[in-house]
Amino acid sequence: MMSSAWLIPLFPLLAFLILLAFGRQLKEASAYVGILATLAGFILALGAFFERFAAGAEDYYVAFKWLTLGDKVIDMGFEVTPINAMMLVIVTFVSMLVHIYSKGYMHGDDRFPVFYSYLALFTFSMLGLVISPNLLQVYIFWELVGVCSFLLVGFYFYKDEAKAAAKKAFIVTRVGDVGLFIGISLLFWYSGSFNYVDIFNAIQNGVMQPWQITLVGILIFIGAVGKSGQFPLHTWLPDAMEGPTPVSALIHAATMVAAGVYLVAAMYPLYLASPDASQVIAVIGGITAIFAASIGLTQRDIKRVLAYSTVSQLGYMMLALGTASVAGYVAGTFHLMTHAFFKALLFLAAGSVIHAAHTQDIFEMGGLYKKMKITGTVFLIGCLAISGIFPFAGFWSKEEILGAAYTSGHTGLFWMAVVAAFFTAFYMFRLFFVTFTGEPAQKNHAHESPAVMTFPMLLLAVLAIVAGFINTPGAPILGHWLTEGLRGVPAGEEHSAPFWITIVATGVSLMGIGLAYLMYGKKSVSRDIIAGPLPWLYQLSFRKYYIDEIYDVVFVRTLRAIGYFLNVVDYYIIDGVVRLVGAFTHELGNAEARVQSGQIQTYGLVAFLGIVLLVIGLTFVRGLVG
Amino acid sequence: MSVPLASYLLVALILFCVGLYGALTKRNAVVVLLSIELMLNAVNINFVAFAKFGVLANLTGQIFSLFSITLAAAEAAIGLAILISLYRNRSTVNVDEMDLMKR
Amino acid sequence: MSGQFIAFFILSILTIGGAVFMISFTKVVHQVVALAFTFLSIAGLYVLLEAEFVAVSQVLVYSGAISILMLFGIMLTKHNAQEYERRGKFKFFAFLVVAAFFGLMFNGIQTMNIEGQPANFSAQNNVLEIGKAMFSQYVIPFEIVSVLLLVALVGSIILAKKEAGDE
Repeated sequence: MMSSAWLIPLFPLLAFLILLAFGRQLKEASAYVGILATLAGFILALGAFFERFAAGAEDYYVAFKWLTLGDKVIDMGFEVTPINAMMLVIVTFVSMLVHIYSKGYMHGDDRFPVFYSYLALFTFSMLGLVISPNLLQVYIFWELVGVCSFLLVGFYFYKDEAKAAAKKAFIVTRVGDVGLFIGISLLFWYSGSFNYVDIFNAIQNGVMQPWQITLVGILIFIGAVGKSGQFPLHTWLPDAMEGPTPVSALIHAATMVAAGVYLVAAMYPLYLASPDASQVIAVIGGITAIFAASIGLTQRDIKRVLAYSTVSQLGYMMLALGTASVAGYVAGTFHLMTHAFFKALLFLAAGSVIHAAHTQDIFEMGGLYKKMKITGTVFLIGCLAISGIFPFAGFWSKEEILGAAYTSGHTGLFWMAVVAAFFTAFYMFRLFFVTFTGEPAQKNHAHESPAVMTFPMLLLAVLAIVAGFINTPGAPILGHWLTEGLRGVPAGEEHSAPFWITIVATGVSLMGIGLAYLMYGKKSVSRDIIAGPLPWLYQLSFRKYYIDEIYDVVFVRTLRAIGYFLNVVDYYIIDGVVRLVGAFTHELGNAEARVQSGQIQTYGLVAFLGIVLLVIGLTFVRGLVG
Repeated sequence: MSVPLASYLLVALILFCVGLYGALTKRNAVVVLLSIELMLNAVNINFVAFAKFGVLANLTGQIFSLFSITLAAAEAAIGLAILISLYRNRSTVNVDEMDLMKR
Repeated sequence: MSGQFIAFFILSILTIGGAVFMISFTKVVHQVVALAFTFLSIAGLYVLLEAEFVAVSQVLVYSGAISILMLFGIMLTKHNAQEYERRGKFKFFAFLVVAAFFGLMFNGIQTMNIEGQPANFSAQNNVLEIGKAMFSQYVIPFEIVSVLLLVALVGSIILAKKEAGDE
């Protein structure tokens, strides 16, 4: 099955082409095209996964020569490694569920086929990104997923917010992409190859200087920062929630934003060789985790809370990867998988709620549990999973991250992550209690979503419960498998994390839940307990630390001023020169046109004058010579 | 003792200059044609004068002047034909208005 | 002062006078008549230069054919055709150029020095000699000129003819 892994991205591509050509005719039947394509991809991906998973299986790598530049050869191909086999399964699975879910969610939309064609194109790009064996190919697909994200965020392009959000998503991630591009280019320059394997060999053989590795590592991480919404470049992700909710689930929760994490994970041997770059990743990840979580505490928009929670969880993954240890690697990728399931679940459930309540403000909902039992239940499961309550998926992966952070000596970051976990539990249950319990804030006619929407949620809910058991501390099946596949690195000695971490992690999560219950469920603790005495703190969080405003002043205004200045320069100096040349030529032409009067006698006179002058000249010359 | 060559040449030169001035300044196309005839005549005088007083005086000059007269006749005929055709189309013989090539 | 000088003097006065009158008259018909005088006088100059055949041709072609042709031209275009005044600056400039040319050529004539005996055509039969040269040495140019005349004839007819579409 691994040998046919290249077919996996082609199914969505085929679906995209079909929808592009016949979408108008297919109308809502477009959904079936997309669902079938992703289903086929999922089956193949499962096949490839299990084949790779089988004992003694090797990485599968196929490439053909694409370009020859001097003595350098650039390949195109695909590979199957443990991490990308896992990613293939996640992407195809979530994508398939989102395809199914969207059939209900997007029902009645005018641009239904267009939506599905974008989804298919995105799935193709994401799978291509995952399956690529070299960084150049990764970069191509990296940009393609960016384009799809742009298209899908701006799907409701008639809304100004959606337009602005799409532009923002594209531009902010571009900042990261430039870093990535420079990193890849430098890497090619230093190591002479784009291929993962060759690069890792080059690092092992000492071809690259340590500072080169660090530089490249940080540059590639900048690309991941942009894509995964890490701290300085996170602002696009919450705004991207203007897109349709299934898109948020697929792109901005489960897959595309995880691409940054995936990239770092795929380049892990490089980061293992550079402690400095890893340190940067860990710090940025830790900051992002607590920073985004603290913003999530106060947001009112259900999707934005989830978006900040996504940013925060991605920060967790980066933190884990940044510990530069095998345990961190396993923890990061493991959390990537579990997060994909429960965050997609949460988004789909949120979509279901929005679909029913026609609002995104949680304080306009309330009491929805009675009307939407399935949605409420799965949302609760998702909240428990993300809060890290035993035995849900998030429990296992989050605990591993904390363990990895602690055992690798990042104690400060460990405590930051613990606080972030408390925040996470609090705001998730705040969301749950406000939305689903209490009195209905409006006399809404909410009703349960159709089966086509609940079915994917139920599947994801099951996974959100059981997915963690693939890598329990007692039986780290996934961990062993991933570590074996980690290229070019000897398996490091494993520190087993002390058991008290589990207790602490669970404890803070339970505290968060309890506090949320008291404040929003039972309402025995006033909501204003913090916002009352410290309004600026609340405002700081609610206004997202004014990051957008700071960016507006620092970058947008400055760039605008520079742009205005350059525009003036362009208009008056560069254009001026051009216009001067134009005007001069024009005037010259006018003057000469006046000479071309059409008066034959004038011509004759001038010609004769020429003759006279010629004769005079000749006579003079003769006089001088003779 | 006969009239010197220079006298004939001077007469021809004056004729030529008058003709040239007329051809350059007159606005009536017919008069322009007449002026051109004048210039051709000046040339003919020179031919004939050189036939008598030239370095190698012989009949060739006279024969050339005959050819020249023939050409002048042909030119006058064609010129007038063009003029008439133009007049029919544009009802003017003013040279200033004959600037079709400009447009 | 021989008779030849007197004849030359009178003829050249007539020639130049006719030319100047032609330039200065305002009525086109008058101008053509003045030009006819010039042509006739030039024929006289040819006689002085012992070119009787050319002189006769001059009378026939210029004084006869071309003057009449011009008169027809005038009548076919504008009966009361008058010379219009041109703008003075242009006239002045043209005059300057022509005067410069005159000065140049005059200087050339004055400094010119041609040695050699003047030919003496009077002893021979001028017409006979021209005929011999024309039909032996210059027969090819002669034939070509006759073709040219034919072309001019046909061409001018076609040009001056009313076009088929005209009323």
